[in-house]
Amino acid sequence: MTARFTGELELFDEWSIGVRRAGRAVELGSIDALAEFVRTDDRGRYRPLSGARTMPGGWFYGARDGEDREAAIEAVYPLATVHSRQFKQGTLRVASLDEVLSRQSGRYENTSKLTAAGRDRARRLVCGECVRTPVWDQERVREPDTVSPGLIPCPEPCSVLVAFCREAALWEPEPPAASEPDSAVPWAAFEEPGNELRERYLMEGPLPHD
Amino acid sequence: MTALILLGHGSHLNGNSSAPVFALARQLRDAAAFEEVRTGFWKEEPSFARVLDGCEAREVVVVPVFISNGYFTNTVIPREMRLDGPVTMRDGQRIICTAPIGADASLAGVIVERALEAGATEADGIAVLGHGTRRDSESEKNVYAMTERVRATNRFAQVEAVFLDQEPGMLGMLDILSTPTVVVVPFFIADGWHVGQTIPSDLALDGAETRRDGRVVRYAAPVGTHPSVGTVVRKLAAEAAL
Repeated sequence: MTARFTGELELFDEWSIGVRRAGRAVELGSIDALAEFVRTDDRGRYRPLSGARTMPGGWFYGARDGEDREAAIEAVYPLATVHSRQFKQGTLRVASLDEVLSRQSGRYENTSKLTAAGRDRARRLVCGECVRTPVWDQERVREPDTVSPGLIPCPEPCSVLVAFCREAALWEPEPPAASEPDSAVPWAAFEEPGNELRERYLMEGPLPHD
Repeated sequence: MTALILLGHGSHLNGNSSAPVFALARQLRDAAAFEEVRTGFWKEEPSFARVLDGCEAREVVVVPVFISNGYFTNTVIPREMRLDGPVTMRDGQRIICTAPIGADASLAGVIVERALEAGATEADGIAVLGHGTRRDSESEKNVYAMTERVRATNRFAQVEAVFLDQEPGMLGMLDILSTPTVVVVPFFIADGWHVGQTIPSDLALDGAETRRDGRVVRYAAPVGTHPSVGTVVRKLAAEAAL
């Protein structure tokens, strides 16, 4: 039988899901245990973005039936099955990055000042870490009948991307020097030198003028 | 039947931040009082903006698991969830957004319980520690109201409010409270970044009990992780459905 995937999840046997890895096969006995397990990566680091390609490996969940398996997928990728269904039906409500940044206030109000080039770089780097497909990105959107079966549509920029745009907007007037990436710095601590996404953004150098 | 949506802040940095919201959701699912129980977050998933996606219940009660009225309940949640006010009618769905759990008067009793758990006696002073913010003055009102309720119980020698991010600051609590022993009760939802890390670090606490210059500082568990918070949610939801 051909293996089927949703994001990094493999769907196998009749209703099981998991991430296979040689030498380890932890059976997770409940949806709650599954949800808790995927909150950290293989090194025990917190995963604030469910779609980040840092899913721990070597586990499976034997769902009872289709409904239970859908609940399990939802525990790993919240709203993935809902958005997938709505996308196929053409009813998925989509909000663009411009729309989301323009409504921010307080700590994130400055994100509306991020230039188009900065937005594009931030989107490319952050969304490139995620298994979801940003259908809000008009340049890259595909029609529902042309998408792969395991695609998870992302209808709206997430809080992680907004938080990254905040930092990118602060860097724009006078970009700080890039530092050596440090995997000990939390994945989403974008203001902290050594953060891997921060350093990749800064290492690309000055942005082209709009 | 009604769907219940619990809203929390969540965190990009601390996985424990949302634990009280998940625990509450499990508790309320087990009680089977609602058609479904969902969680939504500012900094985790599903987001406030998306938590209603796919929710087909005719009536939805949204309960902010926040410690006070303020920036999140007045600005962020209504904007992100596209709410018109306390009641929103949309696509045949009635969405009712309640007051935050922290504004419920019964939480003063939880502050007392947390202080007693930490060993407080009637000779001790209680520092009700709120976050506070310069962004929204609503936030501090609730902390002062709870402090006044705790003071009115006459269970402790002295009860004062102090704040993490505004005056009177927590660093001055030993000047504000004159008792030999001060019990700090974090008026916070989660045992997350602030309660678990920044507050103990900034106050230079040694753990549950710290001795300094002949005085004792005891550090209690946060209010929001207390089991009785589930009762507050059910009460808010029941009142909203009336």
